[in-house]
Amino acid sequence: MLKSLSRAVSTAVRISTSTMFSARALQPLTRSTLCSSNSGAIRPFSRSLWMMSHNGAASVYRPKLFSSKGFTPVSCGCGSLHTEGDKAFGNFLSDEIKEEKKIQKSNTLPKMSGGWELQQNGTEAKLIRTISGEKVTVTFNVNNSIPPKFEEEAEQAQGQKSAENEPDIVSSPNFVVEVTKQAAKHSLVESSLASCFIACFLPHFAIHGEGEEESDIFAIREVSFQPEGDVEWKETAYTLNTDSLDWALYDHLMDFLADRGVDNTFADELIELSTAMEHHEYIKFLEDLSGFVKCN
Amino acid sequence: MGVVLRNLQNVVPLRRARLRKDVETLRHILGIQKFDLGVICVDNRKIQRINNIYRKKNMPTDVLSFPFYEELRPGKLPCPLYRDELNLGDIFLGVEYVMKQCQQQSQDLHGILTSVTAHGICHLLGYRHETEEEWKEMLQKESYILNEFNRFTGRQLVPLTKKCSQDG
Repeated sequence: MLKSLSRAVSTAVRISTSTMFSARALQPLTRSTLCSSNSGAIRPFSRSLWMMSHNGAASVYRPKLFSSKGFTPVSCGCGSLHTEGDKAFGNFLSDEIKEEKKIQKSNTLPKMSGGWELQQNGTEAKLIRTISGEKVTVTFNVNNSIPPKFEEEAEQAQGQKSAENEPDIVSSPNFVVEVTKQAAKHSLVESSLASCFIACFLPHFAIHGEGEEESDIFAIREVSFQPEGDVEWKETAYTLNTDSLDWALYDHLMDFLADRGVDNTFADELIELSTAMEHHEYIKFLEDLSGFVKCN
Repeated sequence: MGVVLRNLQNVVPLRRARLRKDVETLRHILGIQKFDLGVICVDNRKIQRINNIYRKKNMPTDVLSFPFYEELRPGKLPCPLYRDELNLGDIFLGVEYVMKQCQQQSQDLHGILTSVTAHGICHLLGYRHETEEEWKEMLQKESYILNEFNRFTGRQLVPLTKKCSQDG
């Protein structure tokens, strides 16, 4: 796990805090900071809000927030807290949403060539295809899929107040390819090992700019066999890491993927799809946040 | 030490394992297994850009070689003192350019790519084809390599030097 993290830091590619195969649903990094292990999603600041509004002994502590300059609660009768800051925030979000919608390339997501069926569940997407009885599923999550370098450049461009210099934000998610062979009477493969999971990433976008490093458009990071179906991830199954892998074996794995439609064209289209999805989700998030902040 | 193979293009479907196997056979024939070698497959856009930057020729081509050792005597293997100098350099294969030629001449892409790679390796080993004498020397070397390759594999590859003189 730590080895994966150090690699992510050195190559400026975000991966999840566990191994590449962080549960099948590719749990995003941020969830670990927002979710308590004992309950559902609990905001970290909800406890302090409770303390502020409580009239019992616990409310002896008066946080500075109530006495700070600029805090003027607005009464609208809805029972929620509204401040001038919230109003300004809401106005800012309205403008931001308008701007983001202006630069949005399309309301619909780009199509993948090759007959891939898209299934989306929030920020997670699956691309599914069947080839001669084999089912190929590519799973990715747009959370934490923007390489840090793009974010830094965007901030620098904002600092220079030059919109023309702002680079296009590109989402380059890690993705897992699951290949499931249908059980055959003469098959030598045990049914419990029917699914091959190949974890991939997009190194090309880890480094940006002129004279970019000559890296493959996509690369394989890990390979593992897992039981078929939605069952617990088998931690005791061997996971092949490509860091120190024989290069001939690596090329065979790449050819294996290419034969199943996961090639450089697929990787390029995946980036387009993921970028559009990420932008959609970002705008939706801004709209949710705007609704949350404003008076309903 | 080995061959670093990269595929930076999506125009031509490439069989990486096959290309690697052929390159390994070429290395074995030349006795250069201990040296690292880079083979990078690119499309017309990229190879044209590189050709323009380094040779001032704004057009795509089939192969561009970037030797690690720039002053090698043809055919004389380097004797580096340090491990990280066990490197011959990089070969950029213009696979889209080669593919178009193969389609016009009804030839096997991967066979031609192997011939092109042999040509590129000769450049990394100091061979040139700017004069008549250099051209003859390089053709002789390429013919030897591919004859040995054909003997090992049963294929029938022919030297590239016979066909073109645009690469570097």
